[in-house]
Amino acid sequence: MSRSTLATFVLLLQRDVRARFIGSASGWIWLILNPLLLLAVYSFVFGVIFQARVPPGLEMPFVAWLAVALWPWLMFSEGVLKGSQSIREHAALISKVSLPRELLVFASVSAVFLLHLAGYLAVFLVLVVLGIDLHWAGLPRLLLALVSLFVLTSGLALGLSAIQVYVRDLEQALPTVMMFWFFLTPILYAPSLLPSDLGAWLDLNPLTWWMAEIRGGILHAESLPGWPALAMLLGSLAVAWAGHRIFRRLSPYFEDFL
Amino acid sequence: MTRPLLSLANASKRYPPTVNSGERFRAFWQLLWRGKAEGGTAVLEDISFDIMPGESLAIIGSNGAGKSTLLKIITGVLAPTTGTIEQNGSVAALLELGAGFDPEYTGLDNLRMNAAFLGLSRREVDERLDDILAFADIGDSVYEPVKHYSSGMVVRLGFAVVASVRPDLLITDEVLAVGDESFQKKCIRWIEGYLADGGTMLMVSHSMYQVQKLCRHALWLDEGKVSMYGDVFDVTQSYLAWHERKDARDVGARAGSNPDAPYRIRSMTLGENEGNSLMLAVGDPLEVRLELAAPDGRSPEALFGIVRADGTPVYGVATDHDEIEPYPVGDNGWVVILRFPELPLLPGGYTLRAHAMDPEGLRVCDTIEQSFTVTGRSRELGLVRLKHEWRKP
Repeated sequence: MSRSTLATFVLLLQRDVRARFIGSASGWIWLILNPLLLLAVYSFVFGVIFQARVPPGLEMPFVAWLAVALWPWLMFSEGVLKGSQSIREHAALISKVSLPRELLVFASVSAVFLLHLAGYLAVFLVLVVLGIDLHWAGLPRLLLALVSLFVLTSGLALGLSAIQVYVRDLEQALPTVMMFWFFLTPILYAPSLLPSDLGAWLDLNPLTWWMAEIRGGILHAESLPGWPALAMLLGSLAVAWAGHRIFRRLSPYFEDFL
Repeated sequence: MTRPLLSLANASKRYPPTVNSGERFRAFWQLLWRGKAEGGTAVLEDISFDIMPGESLAIIGSNGAGKSTLLKIITGVLAPTTGTIEQNGSVAALLELGAGFDPEYTGLDNLRMNAAFLGLSRREVDERLDDILAFADIGDSVYEPVKHYSSGMVVRLGFAVVASVRPDLLITDEVLAVGDESFQKKCIRWIEGYLADGGTMLMVSHSMYQVQKLCRHALWLDEGKVSMYGDVFDVTQSYLAWHERKDARDVGARAGSNPDAPYRIRSMTLGENEGNSLMLAVGDPLEVRLELAAPDGRSPEALFGIVRADGTPVYGVATDHDEIEPYPVGDNGWVVILRFPELPLLPGGYTLRAHAMDPEGLRVCDTIEQSFTVTGRSRELGLVRLKHEWRKP
């Protein structure tokens, strides 16, 4: 990556991050406030109304158990959604300026990850203040999982953003698909709570693996990553490779269809 | 031998059908599996040319001729459907009204973004920032969103960024028309300096004056095909002549040769050329030979007129004005030869029209016309070169 490509990427990223806050008076405060409010809502709905319980063997409020997995999910789903819109969003730029178009997708996905990472940090801070028992030795494992999640998200966003230029229906369908995916992923519930014949099916959903990996390190004190971490990394690299191939194949003709 | 900076070989572009979603989906499928889509509208066909370092090429043509599509292919925004494009320079900068500007962001943000697109790193932009702002000369407006800018201010900013980059290949698409007089002069001065230092430029413009001033070669694009490519004066003059003829055609169809007229024209020959068009230079001699036929042995009168290709009359003269009689050649035929020893017409397209008139010189019986083109490197204005001299006070 040349220096000017890097400069372009940084500027695009800044733009994407700032675009979220343009027009709001104290934009940066919302960055921290939003996730905390969201956490409060989940805590009320699931902790107070539904009386949801953490899986046996853990001593912590349900909301802490939820929050650790919810933010990575937000990174993933919003990254895929925003990233796949990024090409159509920048149609004016694409039809005028010749630039590596992948940058637009990467910048958009990176912006989502950065923003939610900030929220994730705020959440962890609150958990620490509340005295929740977190296992910091599992942090590297968590970070590794986030890296492979970023690779997976970028790959999906690359492929989908290219396809979306041609198949506009995708824009309508994706949010619903993501919602469905959310409930098929053990975020609000633990896989162990399901009947065992259903639990096996859950493993077909790749995000199940990520949730297990993320919770395993920081909550269950299993600080060493096992073979699933490697499989996830390889799997996400394969998805990124496929997404990039689709993107490369379709991107010379974007301008015709935008 | 130096390598061309840019080389297009048989580049063609078809826009695939994109109207309904079925067509889009089919095109998507074909692109994904075979790497090309079928059908569509041809916008450019078989364009080939090279741009050598230091060359200045103008692309001219009427609206919808494919000029902007060609520029998009050259800048790499668009991939040609067939054919190849090879670029050896590092930077090609397209200057177009508002290209790459996001109206929501401030001028400064857009400036940084555009500079990054043109290959500047963050530090390089910081170093040149003062120069860029001085060139753009839009004051504190740089801190305002571009959506509040006038089109002239947008061009000022865009040009200032490009000027600071000094690209290997500068591509301008109708930008100079937007700025005000003083900024236009500044830009033209900059471009002239850039060209004098060996810069290469590709320019799209409808102003033949600018084209002739700044470019040495021109490419005339008509309905996606190269209509003419060569010296800027030859191409622009043919282009203008073509336009004038087109305008004249639109005004109304001309009378053709009339076989039933009593006094008829048998033939007209311009110079040595029997064919359809004749090219001559400013100040060349022009000889016209007209053969007439008369039924009754009386000599008909002949009237000659020269009109500009758009129909503006330039000069007309008849045999009876000068009390000349056509020369009999037997078989009821008469011949007139008219010679202009030094035709003072300025470059452009013209039509020579000859009329056969009755012996009284009252009625036009038959008409014939033939077009010819005057070429030259002159940038004088008007129709004819008037004899003139410059004197010391």
